[in-house]
Amino acid sequence: MSDELLSRMREVVGQHSEPSLARHAIGTAAIADWCDAMGEDNPCYTDPEFAAKSRHGGIVAPPATLDIWTRPGLPAQASLARRCGKDPLSRVMAMVEAEGFIGVVAVNSELEFARYLRPGDLLQGVQVMEDVSEEKQTALGIGHFVTTRTKYSTVEGEHVGDLLFRILKFRPGTGARPAAATDDEPKPPDASPALRPRPAINRDNQALWDGYRTHELRLPQCQGCQRVFFPPSPRCAQCGSFDMAYVVSEGHGTVYSHVAVHYPQAPGFAYPVPVALVELDEGPRMVADLVGVSRDQLEIGMPVEVDWLDSHPAVVDGATDSRGPVTLPRFRPAAPPRRTETRTVGSVSEGDPLPLWVLPITPTRIVAGALATRDFQDVHHDRDLAHKKGSADTFLNINTSMGFMERYVCDWAGPEAVVTALRVKLGAPAYPYHPLTFTGSVKSVDATTGRVVVEVAATNTLGRHVAGTVELELNP
Amino acid sequence: MSKHTYAGKAAIVGIGATEFSKDSGRSELRLALEACAAACDDAGISPSQVDGLSTFTMETNPESEIMRGLGIDELTHFSRIHFGGGAPCATIQYAAMAVATGVSDYVIAYRAFNERSGRRFGAGVQDRPAGATAEEAQFAWTSPFGLLTPASWVAMFATRMMHEYGVTSRDFGAVAVADRRHAANNPAAHFYGQPITIDDHQNSRWIIEPLHLLDCCQETDGGQAILVTSVERARDLKQPAVIIEAAAQGMADDQQMMRSFFRDSLVGLPEMGTCARQIWETSGLGPDDVKTAVLYDHFTPFVLAQLEEFGFCGRGEAKDFMANGNIEIGGRLPVNTHGGQLGEAYLHGMNGVAEGVRQVRGTSVNQVERAEHVLVTGGTGVPTSAVMLGADR
Repeated sequence: MSDELLSRMREVVGQHSEPSLARHAIGTAAIADWCDAMGEDNPCYTDPEFAAKSRHGGIVAPPATLDIWTRPGLPAQASLARRCGKDPLSRVMAMVEAEGFIGVVAVNSELEFARYLRPGDLLQGVQVMEDVSEEKQTALGIGHFVTTRTKYSTVEGEHVGDLLFRILKFRPGTGARPAAATDDEPKPPDASPALRPRPAINRDNQALWDGYRTHELRLPQCQGCQRVFFPPSPRCAQCGSFDMAYVVSEGHGTVYSHVAVHYPQAPGFAYPVPVALVELDEGPRMVADLVGVSRDQLEIGMPVEVDWLDSHPAVVDGATDSRGPVTLPRFRPAAPPRRTETRTVGSVSEGDPLPLWVLPITPTRIVAGALATRDFQDVHHDRDLAHKKGSADTFLNINTSMGFMERYVCDWAGPEAVVTALRVKLGAPAYPYHPLTFTGSVKSVDATTGRVVVEVAATNTLGRHVAGTVELELNP
Repeated sequence: MSKHTYAGKAAIVGIGATEFSKDSGRSELRLALEACAAACDDAGISPSQVDGLSTFTMETNPESEIMRGLGIDELTHFSRIHFGGGAPCATIQYAAMAVATGVSDYVIAYRAFNERSGRRFGAGVQDRPAGATAEEAQFAWTSPFGLLTPASWVAMFATRMMHEYGVTSRDFGAVAVADRRHAANNPAAHFYGQPITIDDHQNSRWIIEPLHLLDCCQETDGGQAILVTSVERARDLKQPAVIIEAAAQGMADDQQMMRSFFRDSLVGLPEMGTCARQIWETSGLGPDDVKTAVLYDHFTPFVLAQLEEFGFCGRGEAKDFMANGNIEIGGRLPVNTHGGQLGEAYLHGMNGVAEGVRQVRGTSVNQVERAEHVLVTGGTGVPTSAVMLGADR
């Protein structure tokens, strides 16, 4: 049976779709919106003066935008499924689904760039069926990998890049079964933050906790001598004043000490819990758990920034909790600084690590990323529909993940590093409130061609979200 | 600061303990009464002669119940010391002050609990209701963030010691190895006959990184009592008098309850430094006069800091001082010759006072030669206490 299916599917290999034409030429406003969504500050994309003097000679679009321009837009989204019935992927999908391989998961996405895109470019894409694999046993189930390549060019016919996209079509329920949990392994406690111990709030610390609820990191300040100190006290030990107020910390500091809590395990926490003693830039220290980082990634002196956890809600089971809501200040590693001087190929070596980057993922970030990449699939903006489709929440779309990955590497390499390819293997979904932790290192350096390959992974509490490479060209 | 005037005027004349177990099978009050009665037997007095009691604020057995159970007619002194394990040597100090000033004739310092089969201290404060007293409010700065146990609080200091002094986990392990070597020779110890190697320590599971399981003390059911009277009365009793040469309490430098994270430096124990200064000034002794010590060991890292606070070595040098078995029997300063709270039992340090008494009497299972002055300390990281015990001559 599978031989027959495979040969039918393989007949489609090499077949082309009709060209899909972008509705609009690439514009600077759309580029700027994309940069906002990604937090991308590279002036080659938005600053005409800088861009004019750069190697590009003018504004260019971020390479990771290659496959967004030919997308049909919101009005066409509803009829997309009917419209695309004629392309080679749809034909293969129909064949494989008829045989029960109804599960689908995206596996790889690879963008290769022939040149940077510019405002005014009007693109078209042609999809080619590249490969259909033999039947394979995977962790998800028995299935076939289906690979398409979409070739992008300008309407004038200039090739600008390719998207290679691989999905797995599998039979649900045929995957490797997870090993049964043994009885002697206790179930970890419920990690819902609302189960954390509540702080004891009294007249001496109330003002600080009130501030936390509005995400204001307040520190006690004596109004007699202006001393800022912590923890609070009703009387200033320095000048004797009882006149206490507060200042608002910028929320930046460094790790003074740290631990990882393994045992015993209390409800409200995901173990092991990395906890730091943070020395704030204003002077005082405070204890807080850390987000998006494990203890082996921590070191004394590491810069951190505040990251709020609205732990205890105001309303529980439909009733107002008389104790009031609680918000806890946590910390995450500070975002690494964006490099303004572009690295040369001679300044990087194989094995060079990239700095750790912890990116908070919020519903807003997911929606902004989806819209900026012109992706109107409901699972990226509508939580109700995401639930209905079996997803725990809305999740980041692939283009946004790749955009962050490109930004991460270019923040390290500098604004005029030339990105020639982005290749990722896809993993765990990036849901809201699960920060993504990016790590990377230089995989290879070719001093003669200037070609540098950087390995990047982004993980969250569910596992590895994406892993792959960013290929660069750097000047000698 | 001057010499404490009660110093040298009181003596320990009796020590009494229950067995140390993981499940005593009886009430905490019974454990306390058994220990108190045993201390009186050891001294050769009737429990009814006792007229003073001193214990911990954490003690669940009130003085009134001890009084009833021991058949005491009248108590003229009863005092409690706060801050958990910081109290043991302070109970001895209060007893000594009471007898030296004529307030009481015989004072028992006691501590008893079912700390393994009942409320486990290792579970930390996770189940503690969040009241709003000044004391409870301090937990607001640690508990919601996951630091819920003494181990988690001490670990924060340990990481800093490793960073500033180049101390390693193996250095912490040297304390555990010494304790367990001593416990292996002590039939009363839970870990009697069970020494460990440094590899055992390194391979034990994480509790709170950087602390392994074998960096942490036990949880124990049991009771320990210490009987104190005047030196004059002591000389008429059964046992050789063990003189309370000096005793001290200490609280210092932005003190918090094992969570003094906000003070300038986290690599010392300034509250123990306060005790050390008083102990040396009052006793007129120095580190060279001390051949063995019982240093509070709820967690191994603070044993290093205590060696430094008492001047047995310089700042940051404890890891070198401890090398080559120097804190084991036969070394320069055998520490915790009963096996400590890692090896013998966790009795909030009161069993350590008893071991100090045995060393001075010459009856320890790991007897150190010429142990004429024995230092005993209370809990570390908390407001604490220390005592210097000496032979009567």
